[in-house]
Amino acid sequence: MTVAAGIGYALVALGPSLTLFVSVISKKPFLILTLLSSTLVWLISLIILSGIWRAFLPLNSKTWWPLAILIFTSVAFQEGLRLLFWKVYKRLEDILDAFADRVSKPRLYLTDKMQIALAGGLGHGVAHAVFFCLSLLTPAFGPATYFVDRCSQIPFFLVSAIIALAFVTVHTFSMVIAFNGYSEGNKVDQVFVPSVHLAAGMMTLINFASGGCIIGIPLLFLMAILTLMHCGRMVWRRLTENQRQGNS
Amino acid sequence: MLISNDSSFARNVGGVLVESGVEIQHKLKGFSPAQKFPQAEFSPYHNTTYEWNPIGSGIMWKSYNFPVFLLSESSTSTLQEIAMKNEKTERAYTTNVAEFDVVMQTTKVGTHDSESCLKEETCLPLGGYSRKKMSFANRSDVYSYGDITILLRGGMLRGGSVWSALPPIDRLSSNQSKPIILAVASMDAQSFFRDKSLGADSPISGMISLLAAVDALSHVDGLDDLNRQLVFLVFTGEAWGYLGSRRFLLELDQQSDAVHGLKSTLMHLVMEIGSTGRGLNQGNKTFFAHTEVSSASNETLDALKLAQESLKSDGVTISTANSSNPGVPPSSMMAFLRKNSSTSGIVLEDFDTIFANKFYHSHLDDSANINSSAIVAAASLVARTLYVLASDNKNLTSSALSAINVNASLVEELISCMLDCNPGLSCELVKSYISTTNTCPNHYVGVVLGEPSSTPHPNQVDDISRFVWNFLADRTSTPKGDTSVCSQDCGKKGGVCIRAETDGKGVCVISTTRYVPAYSTRLKFDSGTWQLLPPNSSDPMGMLDPVWTESNWNTIGLRVYTVQDAAYDRLVLLGGITVTVLAYLAILLTRAYITKALKQD
Repeated sequence: MTVAAGIGYALVALGPSLTLFVSVISKKPFLILTLLSSTLVWLISLIILSGIWRAFLPLNSKTWWPLAILIFTSVAFQEGLRLLFWKVYKRLEDILDAFADRVSKPRLYLTDKMQIALAGGLGHGVAHAVFFCLSLLTPAFGPATYFVDRCSQIPFFLVSAIIALAFVTVHTFSMVIAFNGYSEGNKVDQVFVPSVHLAAGMMTLINFASGGCIIGIPLLFLMAILTLMHCGRMVWRRLTENQRQGNS
Repeated sequence: MLISNDSSFARNVGGVLVESGVEIQHKLKGFSPAQKFPQAEFSPYHNTTYEWNPIGSGIMWKSYNFPVFLLSESSTSTLQEIAMKNEKTERAYTTNVAEFDVVMQTTKVGTHDSESCLKEETCLPLGGYSRKKMSFANRSDVYSYGDITILLRGGMLRGGSVWSALPPIDRLSSNQSKPIILAVASMDAQSFFRDKSLGADSPISGMISLLAAVDALSHVDGLDDLNRQLVFLVFTGEAWGYLGSRRFLLELDQQSDAVHGLKSTLMHLVMEIGSTGRGLNQGNKTFFAHTEVSSASNETLDALKLAQESLKSDGVTISTANSSNPGVPPSSMMAFLRKNSSTSGIVLEDFDTIFANKFYHSHLDDSANINSSAIVAAASLVARTLYVLASDNKNLTSSALSAINVNASLVEELISCMLDCNPGLSCELVKSYISTTNTCPNHYVGVVLGEPSSTPHPNQVDDISRFVWNFLADRTSTPKGDTSVCSQDCGKKGGVCIRAETDGKGVCVISTTRYVPAYSTRLKFDSGTWQLLPPNSSDPMGMLDPVWTESNWNTIGLRVYTVQDAAYDRLVLLGGITVTVLAYLAILLTRAYITKALKQD
């Protein structure tokens, strides 16, 4: 693709992440660190998954169930890793709180904790976008373009950028929901995140049908909006609860 | 033709892709990009409007300012699909385009004719000893484009003409005054596409007939006792201004090393074997003897008649060409006659008044265009005629004549080696003499690299010339079976080293076989560069010589891909920016809302 189109595709996939970084994350150095380490962890998780699945290639793309197994195992692995991620974060939180007590400074506020979760989620989203979208764009600069037979209305790169945007949204806000669910012990939130992740992953299989991307992509965005809304509701509830607790 | 007539159409043509495929050849009744009278300027007679090649369109000799590519069969089907897609597409903002990657040094530097490009060293002259692969041919007065093919073959090295004497000429003997019977053929072909110049009928079928005749004659005993000396000569560069024959005649005058043992005064007669592959007519093999009016030609015609008699059972006939023909057809004989109009010569062809080859000098003149039994018949005719001529009617018996038989399987093998890709140059016969990495044969003459000489290094000589040299040296060597490993004194004994690439140091055989460089008589290699000599009235053919050269070039390629409209790309960029800006606004709004809501209490 040409340079102009390439920048366009990159902005579609990562533009919102960039704005989030600039307006929220970049203000606090700790959040930047969290973002970077989170991106690294999730990229490594994707590399490990591809390393393991390399042994089973080439997958027969005529039938859908080997791909379903691939997605299921990958989502399960990542959700397991998320739990681990949470445990590490909890230890870090305890260390930070203990340190704050020693120097007589206030402990982490709820908003701080949510922002750390957001940074973690953004790291996950960026890792996904880099792995699944940017890696396709960088070698493809040149005069030509490419269309896939099964989704022939829009260029292949645009399709992958749009899908990456949906997943970035899902991953970013899922982390906030998940951290809140683990800390509160809220079962609904704890189950919501893996379910949405799995559902979004399985929905990409719809793109395999000829012309399926016309249905698959809007459904993915539905998932993303669902995540956003649930996250918004949960954040609102926690913040207002906290407010009342603080005042009372 | 359409392009040269309609300039507004021509302006919109960026390039031409030519399809290839077996069905195409069947559909076409004939195709020849050569002129109607090829190389008419060299004819020894005045009627230059006679149409030897009526199908000829002459498109090869025009200049075009766009490239023309010949596609392989797989590329043809791919591109046909893509062209169909272009017509049927529903997407308004994409098209499939082809991109040509072609840089000719002569165009880049601006040296548009042979003289300037030779001086600037952006081109090399056509002829023996080429190294680089090139693509455009530049005339000294007209700049001509054309001839690129996507079927790039491996780097062809070019050699010169080859001559061989049977039996070998004894250098040490003082008795070197046997009159010479010269049997001539050519080994270079031409087509619109440089890398697909097979020339199966014209002239390779003639060359194969000659090689098979040499093989047949090599089994005859007592050639030493005959009155005349047989010399076989295979020229290259004939399609580009008779470079091989003119250079040979010049070297003969200069009595250079390359032609040691030959003298122009000893030339008794010349017999040229032109195209023979299309001589099959309803089971009969008919050939025609073309000649200028000359008394000594009667001798050749009589010899041909004798040979025909002995081959009666095989259905081989030879007739004199129609007397309404203006003279000899386009052939090396034209150069001989121009040089010396009293040369006694005959040209053996498979046609009478017009070419039987409907694909003369085109990429479609391949092995499907010829018939091996016609080539075998011509070879038998030639072998027996040469024997009759060499014996000069001394002790000629019909049993001796009937003993001369052409090996038909050798002819089949030569056809499959020289004119097919499978097995091509990796066939057993070729592999036993030379080692080459190319399989697909190509008979384009190529260019001269470095200083031309009569003893070139094998890696300066092309595959076909090396093979012909080895083959002729092997077949004309005597005594049979007397071979030894090659060493320094092989040459001193009057021998040559054959099979040097395939059999260790090679085998030393006693044979008189030499290379003769083939390049324009108007060129001189002086202190590392080529110089164009001014026209000289002592060389009338040189004055008419266009002096063809080939531009230097790098790799040539063709890419086909889908392209988006620039407007669509800008739309995508705008979309990306919009998404980013909207996200930013959303974040600001959310932040403001949360802060406001939190501050409320």
